[in-house]
Amino acid sequence: MPFKLFEVDKEIPDREKHIYVKDEADPVEHIPKCNSKTIPGCMTERGCAFAGVKGVITGAVKDVVHVVHSPVGCTTYGCGSKRYPTSPDLPNGGKFPVENFNLKYIMGTDLKESDVVFGGMKKLRQSILEAAKEFPYVNAIYTYATCTTGLIGDDMEAVAKELSEETGKDIVTFNAPGFSGPTQSKGHHVGNLTLFNKLVGTKEPPETTPYDINLIGEYNIDGDLWVIKPYFEEMGINILSTFTGDCSHDEICWMHRAKLSLVRCQRSATYIAKLIEEKYGVPYIKVDFFGPKYCAENLRAVGKYFGKEAEAEKVIESRMKKIQAELEFYREKLEGKTVWVFSGGPKNWHIPQPLEEHLGMKTVAVSTMFEHEDGYEKIKERVGEGTVIIDDPNSLELEEIIEDYKPDIILSGIKEKYIAHKMGTPCMLIHSYENGPYMGFEGFINLARDIYASIYSPVWNMLEFDEMGEE
Amino acid sequence: MQDNMIKTENLCILDKKFAVINPCKMCQPMGAVQALLGVKGAMPIIHGSQGCSTYMRFQLCRHFREPINVSSTSMSEGTVVYGGEGNLLKALSTIWKEYNPEIIGVTSSCLTETIGDDMALIIKKFKNSHPDEDLPPIVPINTPSYSGSHVDGYDKAVKSLVENLAHPEGKNKKINIIPGMISSGDVAEIKNMLDELNVGSIFLTDNSESLNAPLNDDVAFLPDEGAEVEEIRDSANSIATISLSKHADSAAMFLQKKYGIKSISGPLPVGIRNTDQFIGYITKITGTKIPKSIEKDRGIMIDAIVDAHPYNYDREVAIYGDPDVVTGMARFICELGMIPSVVCTGTQSSRFVQDMENIAEENDFSPVILAGRDLYDLHQQIKCMDLELLIGNSYGARIAKSEDIPLLRMGFPVYDRLGAQRISILGYKAGIRMVDIITNTILENYYDESGHEFTNFNEISC
Ligand code: SF4
Ligand code: SF4
Repeated sequence: MPFKLFEVDKEIPDREKHIYVKDEADPVEHIPKCNSKTIPGCMTERGCAFAGVKGVITGAVKDVVHVVHSPVGCTTYGCGSKRYPTSPDLPNGGKFPVENFNLKYIMGTDLKESDVVFGGMKKLRQSILEAAKEFPYVNAIYTYATCTTGLIGDDMEAVAKELSEETGKDIVTFNAPGFSGPTQSKGHHVGNLTLFNKLVGTKEPPETTPYDINLIGEYNIDGDLWVIKPYFEEMGINILSTFTGDCSHDEICWMHRAKLSLVRCQRSATYIAKLIEEKYGVPYIKVDFFGPKYCAENLRAVGKYFGKEAEAEKVIESRMKKIQAELEFYREKLEGKTVWVFSGGPKNWHIPQPLEEHLGMKTVAVSTMFEHEDGYEKIKERVGEGTVIIDDPNSLELEEIIEDYKPDIILSGIKEKYIAHKMGTPCMLIHSYENGPYMGFEGFINLARDIYASIYSPVWNMLEFDEMGEE
Repeated sequence: MQDNMIKTENLCILDKKFAVINPCKMCQPMGAVQALLGVKGAMPIIHGSQGCSTYMRFQLCRHFREPINVSSTSMSEGTVVYGGEGNLLKALSTIWKEYNPEIIGVTSSCLTETIGDDMALIIKKFKNSHPDEDLPPIVPINTPSYSGSHVDGYDKAVKSLVENLAHPEGKNKKINIIPGMISSGDVAEIKNMLDELNVGSIFLTDNSESLNAPLNDDVAFLPDEGAEVEEIRDSANSIATISLSKHADSAAMFLQKKYGIKSISGPLPVGIRNTDQFIGYITKITGTKIPKSIEKDRGIMIDAIVDAHPYNYDREVAIYGDPDVVTGMARFICELGMIPSVVCTGTQSSRFVQDMENIAEENDFSPVILAGRDLYDLHQQIKCMDLELLIGNSYGARIAKSEDIPLLRMGFPVYDRLGAQRISILGYKAGIRMVDIITNTILENYYDESGHEFTNFNEISC
């Protein structure tokens, strides 16, 4: 019986289809039901489409200002929720004047009741003009629809078009109001399509080489990009554009000039890689840089594509040498420990294998907020027999998973963290990390260290009252 | 154009008029949810798309570092067109059956306000379809964020709770206290003072334990402490209502009008004089005497201020955040001999401006008052002044860093330090700690290791 109805879900039997226990004997198509609307009232951990665009795709771009067309809340919450640092370096050799500009500023139209009644276009115009005036050094202005402006039907495109001419800056409108689609994943899609349709192919890079790549779906969470970038540099491969970690607006415009696209986060960004392949004939390959094994495999694949196999081997060898001793230490400490991975999507199939392969940990449960069928197929393939796979778990299910599967550690987001801690189970952040970066060879050591520190924290031995002198 | 209430003396040029950059406020449901998290067994639902509730849970989690449950009706494209009735009905039944709450608070969002859902009517339908069942009270709270801010959301939530639940039945000799959006630590401070004064109270609402909970191998999905539904019912029988925050006094006004319960609004008991005033109200209403312990705390606080004065006097400070916290802190800062030269709140409020003007007159200085403005404006203003301390939430940390001014964190949200829910400023006891903290921040930044102020002797000799 592969599908499982949790005790706590007796009143919402629909949930059974979303929870699957892996059984090798089952046909491949047995995976949790996914990418469907959350049952109203379920304490979902999912976000909205606007969060999918701004929070994931565009928020990492270093030299644009974001104008959220919304009442104040969406604007306030739309900033500072993700950690994707940026450097001031621009592709033309110049420097952007404000460091981490993308983390520091958010603009909004602060809609009032009269705007809702009479339309918010005027407010949007004025706000975009003020954006151009207050931040004259930005290279573009991105503006976002939200639920309210989606409903009142403001023609944001028209405003953007008109003001692009007036301000001389690219103004890009993202039309993914929060109510569109069942999860933030819808926003990823809209973000990809919009950037492709409006920007890719509109500019030419200052120079090109035969070894130019697009690194797609890499958002530089806590500096991930800065770990793997040197690998490519050492191999003589040039990252022409990153989509979108530490990237500049212009880089997106010339993605069509790369020789190859690598797709790192395959849930949020395969769309644009496909579109670029179709229109400009740039092929793409899917890559994974979590954990030494995947990292090595994928560097080899890229090396092979460009005839740089030897260079790839050199990078792999030097990094393995660097981390070997620590890796062994953590393996000794973590062997046999059990883990539950609860990520947005792809980390569920990125992380269990490396944890098992390199650290000897066993994944007992995986769950995602917004993964689709293809992702669940990969998850199923990569986890062991008996692992429970859950789509969009609610907060009561979290408790049941912890009680039934007793993971030694949970890797999840902040909303789950404190629930787990109250139950005495260590839990650490995997969306934005504790003390990252976690990617690449060196990053994997950070991940192992954080897991080790969480599980072995002295506090877990003090939960029970201990009267001295009892012995 | 915004109706910005700015006092113009000392004002540098702030010519941004329409857009908001780095807001100094949040939306209404956020305030409503915070009020509901202080009600025992309450489940808040935001009637809207799930993004709103997820965003707010994220903010609340990283501030309180506690489990926070806020449900959503998960509106989506299809349901937006046909209205949210189906989603709200389904959500109510899911919540009721799954979580068995003692009370459900339903707030609206911009989305459902714009499509015009009548939540009260939908709730009535839900009740009618379960005639024989023992449903928990379900309270609608209308919180369109395109007017007002989280401050109004809190106020509306408490008012809705009282309107829907308060029930006159005899007299109870208690005082109702409406805290406003203050920390768990501050609610606890007020409770302790009332205990010392031996005065019974009903807190509307009480987050002192629900958002500062022990780790004991068990997780509560709904607040397992806080104001009880029965207490909220009983609030119609109290002697008086004190709204610690002036901007949270609608429920008190309602109780006064409907049941003749005396209403007193603020000021937030921060610092000596505001706390004196609070204690004064209590003793006047109840006829109790001020106990020795409180007199002693007051004396220690005065002693601390005397000790602190040489370090603090004449130093200029900027304070930003919720209106009542800002005015409360401003008065306290003046008591320390410092000058709150800039005050900023994202909420537009004539009460705030009036209060600040009174404080300025009383202390003979003229502050820059930014009401209904944002942190970008605050930053521009700070750049052209010479300030030595910032007081406010974590959103201002970037200003502090770029202007190299120390920041004393308080208010909501404080996510870049530990213990946000335990930061307390109310009453004498917390006041003593605050005097220490403020003064030590000054010492840390402007004095050397032997306890002397950094002096540029070159400047003196020429
Ligand atoms: S839509 Fe309204 S309620 Fe929702 S986050 Fe935005 S401002 Fe707040
Ligand atoms: S209103 Fe819509 S766009 Fe804004 S946070 Fe809520 S769900 Fe997202």
